[in-house]
Amino acid sequence: MAGMITEIQRFSLNDGPGIRTTVFLKGCNMECLWCHNPETISTNREIHYYENNCIGCYKCVTVCPSKAHKRIGGGHRYFPKLCITCGKCADICYASAMVMSGMVMETGAIMREILQDKAYYAGSGGGLTISGGEVFCQLPLAMELVTACGREDVPVAVETNLAFPFDYMQPLIQKLQLVMCDLKLMDGGLHKKYTGADNALIVDNIHRLSACGVPFIVRTPLVPGITDTEQNISSIAEFLQGLSGLQYYELLNFNPLGASKYKSLGKPNPFQDVRPLPEKRVQELAALAGKAGVPVRCE
Amino acid sequence: MSKIQLINQFPADETFTLDKRIRLLKKRKLEQTQEKIDAEGGLDEDDYGRVVAPDDFSFEITPTHSDGSFYGYKGWTENYTKLLAAHPLYCDPLDAFVGRGFFFLTRRKGSIWNPDHPYSDLKEAFKQYNIICGIGSDGHFTPDLRMGFELGWGGILAKLKKYQAINTAPGNAEFYESEIAVVRAIISFLNRVGDELAQLAEEECNPCLAQNLREMSGVNHAIASGAPKTLRECIQWMCWFSFLSRLYNRGPSGGQLDELLRPFYERDVQAGIIDDQTAKFYIACLLLNDTRYYQLAGPDEAGRDMASHVSYLILEAADWIDIACNLTVRVHDKMNEDFFYRSVEYLFKNKNGWPRFSGDNSLVEGFMRCGYSKELARKRLAAGCHWMSIPGMEYTLNDLVKINTAKVFEVAYYEMMHSEPDLASTELLWKYFERHLGAAVRVTAEGIKFHLTWQERNEPELVCNLLSQGPVEKGLDVTKAAVYFNMCIDGAGIATVADSFAALQQRVEQEKKISFAGLTRQLELDYQDLDGEYIRQMMLHSERYCGGDTLGDAWAVRVNELFTRLVRAECSRYPGLNFIPGWFSWANTLEFGTNVRATPNGRHSGEAINHGANPTSGFRKDGAVTAMANSIAGVQPFYGNTAPVQLEVDPGIANTPEGVSKMVNMIRTILETGNTLLNINIIDKNKILEAHRDPSKYPDLVVRVTGFTAYFAMLSPEFRQLVVDRVLAVNGDVPEGSVA
Repeated sequence: MAGMITEIQRFSLNDGPGIRTTVFLKGCNMECLWCHNPETISTNREIHYYENNCIGCYKCVTVCPSKAHKRIGGGHRYFPKLCITCGKCADICYASAMVMSGMVMETGAIMREILQDKAYYAGSGGGLTISGGEVFCQLPLAMELVTACGREDVPVAVETNLAFPFDYMQPLIQKLQLVMCDLKLMDGGLHKKYTGADNALIVDNIHRLSACGVPFIVRTPLVPGITDTEQNISSIAEFLQGLSGLQYYELLNFNPLGASKYKSLGKPNPFQDVRPLPEKRVQELAALAGKAGVPVRCE
Repeated sequence: MSKIQLINQFPADETFTLDKRIRLLKKRKLEQTQEKIDAEGGLDEDDYGRVVAPDDFSFEITPTHSDGSFYGYKGWTENYTKLLAAHPLYCDPLDAFVGRGFFFLTRRKGSIWNPDHPYSDLKEAFKQYNIICGIGSDGHFTPDLRMGFELGWGGILAKLKKYQAINTAPGNAEFYESEIAVVRAIISFLNRVGDELAQLAEEECNPCLAQNLREMSGVNHAIASGAPKTLRECIQWMCWFSFLSRLYNRGPSGGQLDELLRPFYERDVQAGIIDDQTAKFYIACLLLNDTRYYQLAGPDEAGRDMASHVSYLILEAADWIDIACNLTVRVHDKMNEDFFYRSVEYLFKNKNGWPRFSGDNSLVEGFMRCGYSKELARKRLAAGCHWMSIPGMEYTLNDLVKINTAKVFEVAYYEMMHSEPDLASTELLWKYFERHLGAAVRVTAEGIKFHLTWQERNEPELVCNLLSQGPVEKGLDVTKAAVYFNMCIDGAGIATVADSFAALQQRVEQEKKISFAGLTRQLELDYQDLDGEYIRQMMLHSERYCGGDTLGDAWAVRVNELFTRLVRAECSRYPGLNFIPGWFSWANTLEFGTNVRATPNGRHSGEAINHGANPTSGFRKDGAVTAMANSIAGVQPFYGNTAPVQLEVDPGIANTPEGVSKMVNMIRTILETGNTLLNINIIDKNKILEAHRDPSKYPDLVVRVTGFTAYFAMLSPEFRQLVVDRVLAVNGDVPEGSVA
């Protein structure tokens, strides 16, 4: 089984318990306006252009079949609208000015990378985290990885938006060490507005997740002016009250690191100038959430 | 002018708690560091606890050779005793102990090798392969401080006289005469110190500090010839041994600190003369006095964990003073988990590079492959930048002998391209490399043998002989009389070589992107020929060492296996000498690089080679520590010496108990998977970038540079850049979007 992935990150410390390897799958069924991994939204390969890395060798000009690269006025210019994403420029751009996002990898190759750190998982309670994009957009691949990891005694966690029918997700969920899911907004209308998806299914799935006995964490990214309202945080916390299997509710401060990726993809970034919340405000929101009686953590 | 007797610095009515004294001592230490920077400029080595000499102190050596330097028993004895007699006392009434030095006599004497014993026949090969041969180098083994604790200087003098009477052969006379003169000079020096302290106590206006000076006077009179009896006397004895050995030739390493101090601490507690706070104060002052290497915890000879209450006191004392110090925690199967956790907590809390961690299993099993027992292997302690040593039992030349394998690669490459250009291939190149590396190792071993033959006539170890098994009993220098000769030969540049082989295999042979001839032209022109930068980038981004199951990893394993086999083969050529391979470049990383032209891994001419066993910067896009540690584990020579892992870690990853637990597990796994030694820098990327721009803003920023820790501000700009590059590499700060 082959799948489309953007990256395999080893020694990952923030994607679940212990020391982990995180496999980022490409393709997502939601389109959150603030996504800090914009290259993982599309299921297709995409070209990043990092202008600062260009050494002016013009090799891309010679290999590009669609004339997306040109030598103009003694300098290199890239015209993304002409690009057919064949990847020929990225293949020969060793300076990493042109970088292809998305590679097709077989389960076996992914597992070889995962198993290199097996000793670290065992000692630390870590394992594999499948992230995205959205893991359930590539369920067959995820299933194969979980099965292969099971044979090697490597625990698996996923990061998911849970925006799929539960019966579709359940066979995978039942084999997991941990589910880390997002609930970004409690207001259905706002959720639809900012992520492109209704949250009714997600809310229902969190109930069903709780019932099926797999440990889970619910997370809310704190996007200034959108998800960081006291009403949103307290209503999510109240919703989580009493759910069995919930390890804790986690508040993730806004991550501005996606800015260079938006630029390199030539995509507009609606959150270009948004900065993370002050630490004090994050703590206040955590305290507010804590009043609902659920354990709360923040980054 | 630097003041070294800091009397009457405070009003008579000022009072001092131990905590206040620590704060003031630390502040003074930072001022002294700045003084050293102002007086000496950058220095890419350990702090050594030195202070700048006062302006009114000068010392001229007495040459014993026509070349203007001095050599042998006579020359060293005459100059060392003269220096001791003239050396002024450093005294800070806030401190629990006295004694700081200004310099090492080795660096004041001019030439370090007696020209009467030339080795010009070896020099050509040393130059050809850029070998640091170790001939004439000193220290870098571990004396047994317990010998000193048991005997005191008076007992050592009596022991010398006893064996002088037994060993009456003419060949031994010079040894005993010199050693007796040295010990007498030491006793005389310490008595003078005791007298001067009593006088300073009279002059000091603050009664609290005057009382401390009187106590110090008593301690120094007591240990001038007698054996130390209390913890305070024991540590003052250690401070003086540091001073005396540093003053001579930079000196050796410390030992198992918790076990050294424990009997004195327990005796003092039983006698009701010490509490934990005072004990910690003494230990903090010891760490302030000198940056000696000490080991904590680890197994005793029977495998039982040695972590004790004193081990905790040492960690707490180091936390209290929080300066550059070199503490190594030995991690083993029966580890005290709480102590391990606490040590990691302190590493992340203070971010000063201490402690570091050694791996008992790999070290012990490796050393046993040399034919030694497990009990002896467990006694071989972490004692230097990257090295282990058995206190009092072995002579080693640890960290003093290095072969620049990147230079060997260069010699092999150009010889192949000159002799058989049409047949050029990585396999043919390997044959050339194998032959030249063999020649380099052979001449290195020959150099070590030469050193052992003549070093007694050049620079006998007059101070360290006294705490070693063999010299006093036999009347010979430790280079002749040690119980074991475990001679260190380190390779440097493994990543540069492995990445070069990998780049050639991938780009020239597999992908046929460039020919050997085309690449050679680029190398000769330092990648300045047509398309040079493009080709350099292509070679640079080949499959690199530490990438994780890459071509570079495979070549590194092969290079290590060859180097290990060649070094071990020298044991049969020189019976009685046990040559032990390792991978380490110390601070020679930059200098080695200046001697190597552009290499096929995209490295420019003159750029630094890789550091120790670490990869080159940008080895992976994610900078994964685990990938790096796995690959370094794969290149351990595994004979008891090390190929250390040097990690740069962001402080944010262990700012919660859960984060600390993850780090404990990471450290344990790194060492359980075959690694031998782990140095960790906890560095905030933005802070180090700012400190690099203006070092004076962060006078207290300490980094673990290679094996040693140093004040960042003390390093040369080039070395600061090297540390900054390493930090950026593990923060994933290879160029944006870079695919490593």
